[in-house]
Amino acid sequence: MTRPGLARLTAVFGWIGLVSLGGGRSAYFHDALVVQRGWLRDEEFLQDLALSQVMPGPNFSNLAVALGYRLRGFPGAWCALAALVLPGSVLLLALAVYLWRGIGPEATLALQAMSAAVVGLILVMTARIMRVGLRRRAGLLLGAGTFLLVGPFALPTVAVIALMLAVGLWLNRPRASEALTPRSETGPPSEAGPRDQ
Amino acid sequence: MDLFRLTWTILWLSFLCIGGGLGIIPEMERQAVQVHGWLSAREFLDGYTLAQLTPGPNMRVAMVIGYHAHGLVGAVLAGLAMFVPTAVLTAVVARHWSRLRGRPWAITVERTLAPIGIGLMAGGVYTLARSAIHDARSAIIAAAAALLLATGRVPPIVVIVAAGVAGWLLAAR
Repeated sequence: MTRPGLARLTAVFGWIGLVSLGGGRSAYFHDALVVQRGWLRDEEFLQDLALSQVMPGPNFSNLAVALGYRLRGFPGAWCALAALVLPGSVLLLALAVYLWRGIGPEATLALQAMSAAVVGLILVMTARIMRVGLRRRAGLLLGAGTFLLVGPFALPTVAVIALMLAVGLWLNRPRASEALTPRSETGPPSEAGPRDQ
Repeated sequence: MDLFRLTWTILWLSFLCIGGGLGIIPEMERQAVQVHGWLSAREFLDGYTLAQLTPGPNMRVAMVIGYHAHGLVGAVLAGLAMFVPTAVLTAVVARHWSRLRGRPWAITVERTLAPIGIGLMAGGVYTLARSAIHDARSAIIAAAAALLLATGRVPPIVVIVAAGVAGWLLAAR
């Protein structure tokens, strides 16, 4: 298993950040690091994917940090984060500065149409994740409850997460029967599968 | 003082990110639009759209909030608050992860967080849809985009840009 140098790592992560527009982004990492370059094994990638989903924070950057750490330790993690976030941030700020000087009616309507399309996009992405992620009954309860409380009922997210964590940890508490069958190293990282944002 | 409030707000929001950034959109909108008045709901939605349109994590929308509140300094601080602290935590846990993940409670946490994260994401869709879908035209565009993307044959960025071009042409008519 070859491990890249820091400069190479930064270049590759920066490139992934630039080309991974729109969705299904963890797949880009898998393709670039596992399939194309053989820097990581499948199970290493899946471990890091699971970690990025369990840890708080933006998933996509957390995944980059976990992969960067595995490849080059802490310096690798910071380079991976910077390479992923900085180029797009400069672009975003440039657009923001430009647009908020005032835009014409055409640009306003174009932006509104794109916003509507983005809602269609995130709806489809969320529905896809629901199909794989909400199979167990406890999961369905937690997912639906969280949505209702945060969305239509507009309760503070902190309170909803605290409540749902308490309910969920109790519903999913470790049981004696499961303790006897430890999870295999190559098993899927989580029931929800690849996910990002 | 408000700069500190901005940084602190984005920081605690970043720690609420479970599963996907989309999940904290409802709380982020409430804090930025209703509680602190840093920008309007429409500007927030536009910011999310631009973050989706440009490469990199969507949670760069925090930088747009920062920009509206305090210019470029606000944008940089918001960006650091959103990405760096949770990244440090992730890197530290990554060090021990291969040993921790086999524990029964790690499975419990994963099983619990995954559906909560999905519920939060659905809440994010709800929040953004409320701002984005305001007439028949935006509803039709959203539905058409969803149908196209559901086929899995068209890249998301193509659909979003096509919608933008359609909006532009409708306006120029």
